Amino acid sequence: MPRSIEFREAIREAMCEEMRRDARVFLLGEEVAQYQGAYKVSRGMLKEFGPRRVIDAPISENGFSGLGIGAAMYGLRPIIEFMSWSFSLVAADQILNNAPKMLYMSGGQFPIPIVFRGNGGAGGQLGSTHSWCVESMYANVPGLKMAIPFDAYDAKGLLKTAIRDDNPVFVLESERLLSVKGEVPEGDYLVPFGEAAIRRQGTDCTIVSFGRPLYFCLEAAESLAAEGIECEVIDGRTVRPLDIETISRSVARTNYCVVVDESWPFASIGAELAAQIHVLNFDDLDNHVVRVQADDVPAPYAYNLEQEMLPNARKICEAVRAVTYAA
Amino acid sequence: MAIELTMPRLSDTMEQGTIIKWNIKEGDTVSAGDAVADIETDKATMEMQVFDDGVVGKILVPEGTTVEVGTVIAVIAEPDEDLTEVAATIEARGGTTPTTVAPEPTPEPIQESLEASGVKPPVAPAFDRVRISPVARRLAAEHGIDLATLQGSGPRGRIVKRDVLRALEATRETAAAIPPSAKALASVPQVPFEGVLAGAPVLQDRVTPLSGIRQTIARRLVEATATIPHYQVTVTFNMDPLLGLRGTLNEQLADQGVKLSVNDFLVRGCALAILQHPEFNASWEADHIRIHGNVNIGLAISLPPERGGGLVVGTLRNADRKSLRTISQESRQLAEKARTRGLTIDEMADSTFVLSNLGMYGVDRFTAIINPPNSAILAVGAAIQKPVVRNGELTIGHEMAATASLDHRLIDGAMAAEFLQTLKELIEHPAMLLV
Repeated sequence: MPRSIEFREAIREAMCEEMRRDARVFLLGEEVAQYQGAYKVSRGMLKEFGPRRVIDAPISENGFSGLGIGAAMYGLRPIIEFMSWSFSLVAADQILNNAPKMLYMSGGQFPIPIVFRGNGGAGGQLGSTHSWCVESMYANVPGLKMAIPFDAYDAKGLLKTAIRDDNPVFVLESERLLSVKGEVPEGDYLVPFGEAAIRRQGTDCTIVSFGRPLYFCLEAAESLAAEGIECEVIDGRTVRPLDIETISRSVARTNYCVVVDESWPFASIGAELAAQIHVLNFDDLDNHVVRVQADDVPAPYAYNLEQEMLPNARKICEAVRAVTYAA
Repeated sequence: MAIELTMPRLSDTMEQGTIIKWNIKEGDTVSAGDAVADIETDKATMEMQVFDDGVVGKILVPEGTTVEVGTVIAVIAEPDEDLTEVAATIEARGGTTPTTVAPEPTPEPIQESLEASGVKPPVAPAFDRVRISPVARRLAAEHGIDLATLQGSGPRGRIVKRDVLRALEATRETAAAIPPSAKALASVPQVPFEGVLAGAPVLQDRVTPLSGIRQTIARRLVEATATIPHYQVTVTFNMDPLLGLRGTLNEQLADQGVKLSVNDFLVRGCALAILQHPEFNASWEADHIRIHGNVNIGLAISLPPERGGGLVVGTLRNADRKSLRTISQESRQLAEKARTRGLTIDEMADSTFVLSNLGMYGVDRFTAIINPPNSAILAVGAAIQKPVVRNGELTIGHEMAATASLDHRLIDGAMAAEFLQTLKELIEHPAMLLV
């Protein structure tokens, strides 16, 4: 019996199911307990699991991230919620310098089975400092995994996989998607890491993206279909590990590729994808890979400017026409 | 714009040319088609024509001088052009020293937008070559379409996939338009006719693109047959002693993993024979002969179809200083590596004498083409059981024919005969190969 729930409820279901399944799992973050979550993701969890497993932290990301890493070294499986990934920057030393390297530095003695999750991405008129798309910068670090769910189904399935993973996993949820409903099965299921999903099939051009920009890709694909260009839209699902095989197979068929990445272009996931595709698909390409990324500027506050700075359907359409020489 | 006259490539193999005579002098007016110079190539002395009208501005390479193909040898000013401009052109190129000059890259901004990715379009040089996307190049090669016939519709005239597909479509339409009688010949192999068994393999017309290795083989062997005066000398060996010794050794050394082949004995035999006949380990270098100090026996190794077929020559270095056991091991490793992972340049370089063995195919005898810059190659057939005369009696024995191909510039017939005699002595008294 299919049922439709919100993206935020899917996240909550994943956490609750895993906490019922494994007593070592707990949730720690700002306003996750008494206030039921800044975005009501953890509504009802304090009541079910009590204050020892759903813990309010002071505004001190570096402190509670480090606390979580310590707990993980002692054998617990923490979920650390960042109200926004923009706030995780002050915890960079813990989440980038300690968590992903500890297993290596301890000679394999200390795995860090921790999940850092929260809202990522821009588009909410939150200004330059609160509109971070951290994926490119963070994905640069070896030792961590990164999942960016596209819909409620993946939000639950990827988060459950993340909680059961023995490595630090960064789960980037989009604030703009929290209220979007989708069909989510009740009970246990996992979405494996490193397996991309083809969100739309097409023969003429491959579009690759992660998370929220995929909606712009699908919107662009619809309007391009009316022009006779059938795009294949691929959701990478996890940045690390990256399912480059699925992407490469698609490009081998279409001969064209547009990469859509919400973060800045320089040294980005978009740049990495383009580089890998150029290597794997050199003889298949009829044009170089074209990237649609956020503009190389701090996020503006003004709504119209911010929409223009980010990837959007219009820019994706233009990129697809350009790459397929249809412009 | 001044026109640069370069040393033309007047033959396929021409690498450099000598200016025998200039028919012009500075200040002369020339018209397209004028024979301005006599050029000596590797083959003949030929006229060099000019393709533009103008005034001879500067002669850069004097008579009697040899320069590489592509070197600027003179500069012509266009009819309405000032000779001082010509001087400026030469000046800009760094004086009058004749050098090989690549086509001047003209800076040209990249038209396509990198702006989508937030990167400022860099200024890239334009190259004087076919602009074509990788997949278009691949498609054109697969369908045997000549790139010169294609018109690029992409940015800056880039040939893209749709251009190739259009050309392919046009070819098919043309083919469809040919009257049936004209097509009859082409269609024959595709129409099974009565009498052919159902399911029997049918050949079809197709074009196979040249692999890199196939191109190299073609180039080198054409060069070898064109430049080396080949001749062949054949000798037949009594193989019974060697086969007997080989059997004994292989039996006794089986538990050490030693399995000597006839070829291993031949490698050793050739290496030892070469020590006595160093001209077989030499290269012809135009005005002198180079005798090599190391005996590096090259082994012709055929590659399996899944590696693209063809053949390579693997090098067994200092074979004269190696035991049969080592030769056997290294040969096997070379052949296996060539057929699985491929050999490195180093593993294929510096052979001084090549052995090509088709014995395993049961071939009686054959001739081989010399692998430049070697002076000889030995083509070996199978050891075949046959009626033979030994000590004045007809009996059954094993014989094997080997045919040496030789470069007559270095090696005369009698020298070849002497070398083969030495080799025959060694092969027929194989115990000498053990010490």
